[in-house]
Order: sequence, then structure tokens, then C-alpha cells
Amino acid sequence: MIVEARGLTVVYGRNGRPALRGVSCAVEERRLVAVVGPNGSGKTTLVRALSGRLTPQAGTVLVGGRSVAEWPRKDLARQIGVLPQREEILFPLKVEETVLLGRYAHLGPLAAVGEADRAAVRAALERCDVAAFAERPSDSLSGGEWQRVRLARALAQEPRALILDEPTASLDIRHEMELFELVRRLVDDGLAGLVITHHLNLAARFADRVVLLSGGDLVAAGTPAEVFTPETIGRVFEWPVAVPRWGGEDGSPQIVPLRPGESAS
Amino acid sequence: MSRSRLALLVVGVAACLVAGLSAGSVPLAPGEIWAGLRNADAPASVIVRELRAPRVLLAFLVGGSLGVCGAALQAMIRNPLAEPYLLGLSGGAGLGAVLAIATRAAGAWAVPIAAFVGALGAVALVYRLSLVAGRRLDPRVLLLSGVVVGSFFIALMSSIMVLSDSAATRNAFLWLLGGFGSSSWQSLGVFAAYAVGPLALLGLHARSLDLLALGEEPAQYLGADVDRTMRVVYGCTALLTAASVAACGIIGFVGLVVPHAVRTVARPLHRSLLPLVFLAGGCFLVLCDVASRVVVRPLELPVGVITALVGVPVFALLLRRTLT
Amino acid sequence: MGGFIRTRPSHRARFPSLVPLLVATVSCARAGAPAGDLRVVDDAGDTVAVHAPARRIASLIPATTELLFAIGAGKDVVGRTTWCDYPPDASAVPNLGDGITPNLEAILAAKPDLVLLYNSTRNAEAASRVRAAGIPALRLNTDALADVDRIAGLLGRLTGRKAAADSVSAAFDSALAAASAPPEAQAPKVLLLVWEQPPMTIGRGSFLSELVERAGGRNLFDDLAASAGTVSIEAVAARDPDLILTAAEGPVSFISRPEWQAVRAVRERRLVQVKGSEFNRPGPRSPLAIRELAARIRAAVR
Repeated sequence: MIVEARGLTVVYGRNGRPALRGVSCAVEERRLVAVVGPNGSGKTTLVRALSGRLTPQAGTVLVGGRSVAEWPRKDLARQIGVLPQREEILFPLKVEETVLLGRYAHLGPLAAVGEADRAAVRAALERCDVAAFAERPSDSLSGGEWQRVRLARALAQEPRALILDEPTASLDIRHEMELFELVRRLVDDGLAGLVITHHLNLAARFADRVVLLSGGDLVAAGTPAEVFTPETIGRVFEWPVAVPRWGGEDGSPQIVPLRPGESAS
Repeated sequence: MSRSRLALLVVGVAACLVAGLSAGSVPLAPGEIWAGLRNADAPASVIVRELRAPRVLLAFLVGGSLGVCGAALQAMIRNPLAEPYLLGLSGGAGLGAVLAIATRAAGAWAVPIAAFVGALGAVALVYRLSLVAGRRLDPRVLLLSGVVVGSFFIALMSSIMVLSDSAATRNAFLWLLGGFGSSSWQSLGVFAAYAVGPLALLGLHARSLDLLALGEEPAQYLGADVDRTMRVVYGCTALLTAASVAACGIIGFVGLVVPHAVRTVARPLHRSLLPLVFLAGGCFLVLCDVASRVVVRPLELPVGVITALVGVPVFALLLRRTLT
Repeated sequence: MGGFIRTRPSHRARFPSLVPLLVATVSCARAGAPAGDLRVVDDAGDTVAVHAPARRIASLIPATTELLFAIGAGKDVVGRTTWCDYPPDASAVPNLGDGITPNLEAILAAKPDLVLLYNSTRNAEAASRVRAAGIPALRLNTDALADVDRIAGLLGRLTGRKAAADSVSAAFDSALAAASAPPEAQAPKVLLLVWEQPPMTIGRGSFLSELVERAGGRNLFDDLAASAGTVSIEAVAARDPDLILTAAEGPVSFISRPEWQAVRAVRERRLVQVKGSEFNRPGPRSPLAIRELAARIRAAVR
């Protein structure tokens, strides 16, 4: 287990509602966990707590068996690679330079960039299939290409776990699929993965485990088939859905929201 | 950096320094200047050795320091319009200077020291204000507090100046307009002593600045100690800028324009950017100082006027280039 | 020489008006000037009707306050500025503010029948507002020694003390001639330092420069116009002044600063600081100021 959260409770402000209440989840090697839920269910809060940006009011987060608060920032960056939702490009760098930023967790302030670092950057560029863009400025990339570059940067950190917050927001089908395929490959090759996503159907097809949050509570956790039932989804998302299977009876559940007058059949 | 570019850079810097020594209120032939440098008895020796040489070096150091401060602040606050004087410094320095003049503080160094203390006081106040509810330093609040605190101190300073019945106090702003007219080997030494530490520290944090420029969240995830870096950058720029105000008054635009200009020809990664900005800022200010001495000789213009006159069109040009 | 002031007495006048330059003993008998309106063109070019003799004068220029007291019209002064410090009796007169931005309320509250303002563009509005309230206001230049006779004569006519004014003028002229040194080829070069950081000086035509020249010195920067400005220490060092002159409240700590040691006069401590408002404005004390300056310049270059 690379990252483990137990009984997390996070409250913003003094009298706010808990953004997370008693949530536990684990991120393990070769497993992809998808965290899903309606808006405001606490998904991004979970990412922040797991990566140590937030101190929970209750509960623990362990990284490699140690409390996340005890990890120095740099060492933590060598364990977990996190891709937040938002990022500004203030001074555009070339793609290769962007990915190099991921190596900073391995470099001391006086150390120069070495052969090991350059090799790691090359490897990351290759794995994310952006090696051809190495010299291009990052503000000339499309949305999908930019996400892959950011992923390459996270890979350059050589982490053991990847945490991605809505990596496919505003991407089209092709880029969505490419990204999820890439993440799946990385996880199969040995990384631990946690993805927050709105795309329930993609979560169902690519994830090994799904964690469903609603209003800060963990409503369900398990395989996609276990979590994505019409009753559960309909209740949490407050909309009636049908859940047919894709690819036979043991295929992955696909959620189809129903229009008035339609019924599951 | 390629050899030829490095050579070009060295030549450029040398040329600026030579220009600084050659030009001035008193026209001197190159032979006289060279004789003055080598020989203590030569007629031009006093001017060249005691007045121009320290002046050129101080202008270079101050220009370089202000440039580096600007670049670091632009990354830290994630605002391309950031400038060292954003932090309320000019107001604090002005108030310190006016108080020293109004209380007739004794000593040749009273006013610069008071300006330095005033600048740091303003910066500390801005820092305190920006730690909203004990939270981490918030760049957006920093900008606002800097403007607010700066304006407050300027208002205080203006009231003292207007209400005073001493002509010296009423004209205190003249000191702030400053310039390098009072440079000496001593003031150069003092400034250099103050500048070395902060410049080195900023250099050590160059990589953290690359990360901070992405945003606090991504920076943290990539391993940056955001809080510590921000405190260090803030403290170093405050110290450097306060020292430069004490040395030569308020000189704007260097910290704003030079980093942007350098970014158009060099990579924005700070490990290479900061040294280049230092050299470019130094050359820029040396040349502006030459202009201030030569344009209306034997009178001098405040060098801040020249940096503004040059800086604004350069900035407009840079803006057009980046937007098209 | 100011030719701006022209007076045209009204219907009772018997003698044509002259620009007052010399004492005319006969006109002493005319000291009681005909009551009535004088039309005066002030130094800003405005024509103003003044009811002479003025008995309640708001004198917002230190030079005119001094002259009014000198011609015996001190008790007619109902308002002065903070800077009107001579003669000592002037301090008994109500202070109406600093005169740089005139306090209109205070001026009007003193119920003057004549207001004297320094001829600056800033005072243009004050002058027109005072006139709009029905009170004559004159804007006067009081910058040069040449203004003394002119202004004294004008004040004499306005207060009905022409004889006293003429005698003050005469005394001034002869004292000035006696105190002034003839121009010398080897006149000591004097740096007039009015501010130290940045170093600022004033050029020829300024009042202090005039005093220095009459005292036998030469303004180091007499090639520059009166208002001058910031100079570099380099230029000062190259021109090598024989002494440095500063006024009260002027710079003093510069002598211990390292960059100033490049100037010989600083190294040799040839410094003269003059205190006293007689060095700030032209008036009856100017010949004394010149004598003092001459003595101190001689002492400093010895």
C-alpha cells in the first residue's frame, strides 16, 4: 500500500459542514482507484488530504507507512506524483523543460542536471507519447497533448503512486481515451493510481476499484460492478439511471441517465 | 550557454562599464581617463577613481539587484507586472527619509539609514497584513497590502512635508528622487555587503521559483516548500530593495522591464535567467545613469526619470510582441 | 529695472507721475499724497485701482513687510506671513499663514484694504478672489536688489509716505554702492549649495548669487540660469571652487561624506554658512548682508 487514508474528516472554516467525514481509501501498486461523486462531494478535498496539502481534523494519511505530515516536501514528491486540476502557464517553457521540472524533487539547489535526470525525462516523454513535441513551447499544445505532458512531468518524478484530479475535463473522446489508456498502462507497469473523474463510464471501464463519495461521506466502495447499481447511482446523483453492461454479462457497467418516460429495460 | 553568446555577453557588460567611466558631466578624453585610472597623480584621477568608478559599479550592482528582485517577485506572485516597489517600500523609505530630515538627525548616513529602516518597516507591515488569519502568505493579498501600505506611508510623509515649517523637510522628496550622485567607494562597499547574501539566497532558490511560477498547488506537488520559499524570496527582495533605496533613492522600472526583456531572448528557467537578468539590469542602469549625467550637463537628471522614459516604451514594445 | 509700476493719480493731481528713483526734497512737502484712487499696474501685468492711503495692509511677502516697517508704515500692517520675521515688531502683527498657499479666509477676516502677494502663478487665483471680494490685490516680484527701490517707492505712494520711502531708497542705494566690491579678475569661485542629496545649486540672477557677486565672489555655476538644479560632484570638482556657501537650513553633513572629499574646498574645510533672513530677500538689510559675506569669503580663502 503506497497511500492510505483512514477515517479522514476535513472541515473547512470553523462552522462549516465537513467536506469529508470518516473516509478511508487506499492506493496500491498495480491498482487503479477511481473516486467519483457529484459536485461538492469532497473529491478534490480527498486529493489534498492524501497529498498532505491539508491537515485533516480527524483521521490519518499514511504514505509508505509514515504519516504524510512527517514527509519532507521533496521526499514526498518522489513518492507521489499529483496532477491538480488547474495550472497557470505564466512563462511558457518547452515541453522538455516542463518535464524536467519533475526532476527537481531529485535535485539539490546546487546540483546540476545529470545524465540520470535526462534519461528519466526522455523515458517519461516516451511513455506518454510526447517525445515528438520535446522542443515545442507548452502554450502551443492542444488540451490533450498538454495533459500528457503534465503526466510525463509527474512520471519524471519517478513516483510510486499517481494521483490525478479530473485529468480529462474538457478533453474530447479521443484524448480522453488516450489518457485513460496511458494511465492504465502505467498502472499495469507497476504504479499505484488514483483518479478523480466525472466520467462514470470511463471509471467503470478502466478502474479496478471505485470509491463513491456524496456530501463528504463514503457511500460505496468496491469494484465498478458493485458500486454502479441503479439504486446507488440514482440515489447519490439524484437522477434515475439504467446500468446496462458493455461487452456481455460480465462486461463493465455503463450508466445511462433516463429521460422522463424512459425506464430501464 | 553557447561560447559565442557568452563572449558577446562579456563584451556587452565590459562596454557598458567603459561607457560609464567615459561619460559624465565633465568631458574627458579616453587618454585622460586611462591615465586617471592608472596614475593617482593624473589630473583626471580624482574624478575617475573617486567619483566615476564607484558610481558605475554601484549603478551596476543596484541595477542587477533590482532586476533579480523583479524577476523573483514576478515568479513568486505569479504576476508579470510585479516590481520590487510593489511591497510598499517606496512609501516606507520616503517616510523614514522625511522623518530623519525633519528631526535633523545628525550624521551623513542618517537619511539613508532611516530610509532603509522605513522600507523594512513597511515591508514587515505588508507581510503581517498578508498573513490573513494566520494563513500562509497569499500573493493576491500581498499585492493589495503593498499598495495600501505604500499609499498610507506616502500620505503620512506628504502631511509631514506640507505641515513642516522647515524648508529642508518640505523638499525632502528631492532625496528620494535620488540618483547615483552621492556614490562613493564606501557606499558601494556597504551596498555590496548587504547585497551578497540575499542575491546568493535568491540564486539558491532559482529552481523553487520555476516551480512557484506554476502555481502554489503544482509547485508543492513537485516538491517545493512553498511557504519557506515565499518567505525567503520576500525577505531577500525586501532587503535588497531597501538597501538600494538607501543607496540611491527610488528607481523604478528596472525590476519590471529587465526580466521581461531578458525572457524574450533567453529561457525562463531561473537558474540561467537570474544571472542574465542581473547582468542586463546592471548594464541598463549604468547606461541610464550615463544618460542622466550627459543629457543636460553639467546638470543631472534624476536617474529614475530616465528609467521611466526608457522603460515605458520598452515595456509597451514587449507587450506587443508577446500579444501578437 | 522694473518699469511695470505706473501710477496715475486721479483728477486732483498736479504733477505728472514719474518712476520714483531719486529723492526730491520738494516732494517731501507732498508727503501727504492726495487721497483718492491710484491705478497701479502690478508685476503680473494686472491693472488695479487702490484707494490711497492704504491703512490696513495684508503684506504676504516678507520683503514688503520689511519695507513697510522701514518706511514707518508698520502700524498699518494688519496681516503677515509666518516667514515675515523682520523687524521683530512684525511678530506682533497677526500671522495669516505661510503665504505660499494663501489662506483666503484669514486674509478676508483681517479686513484689509490692500493685499500684497508674491508674483507666482499659484497666487493668481488668490489675487483674483481677493479682488472679487472688493479688495485690491497686487502681485509683486521681490527677487532682486533692483526691486528694492521700485517696491519702496510704490509702497510709499500707496501708504502716503513717499518722503520716508524716498529716504529709505536713498539710504539703501548709497549703502549698497559702498558695500559692493568692484568686479575682480581673481574673484574667488563660490559654490552655492542649496541641497546636498542630490547636490543642487542656483545660477546667475538668483538673489544669493547677486549678493555673492557684489561681495566680491563669483558663482561657480554662473553659466547656468537662476533656477539651476542638480549638479554632479564631478562637475563641482572639475570647476574647483575656492569655497562652498550654504544658507541656514542648508546642507551641512555633506562635508563628512566620502564622495565630497574629491572637492578641494571640502578637504580644506573652506565652508561658509550664512544664517539670517537677510540672505533670503532683498531689502534694507542687503548691504549689511553683502558686507558680512565679503568678510567671510575673504576669511575663508585666506
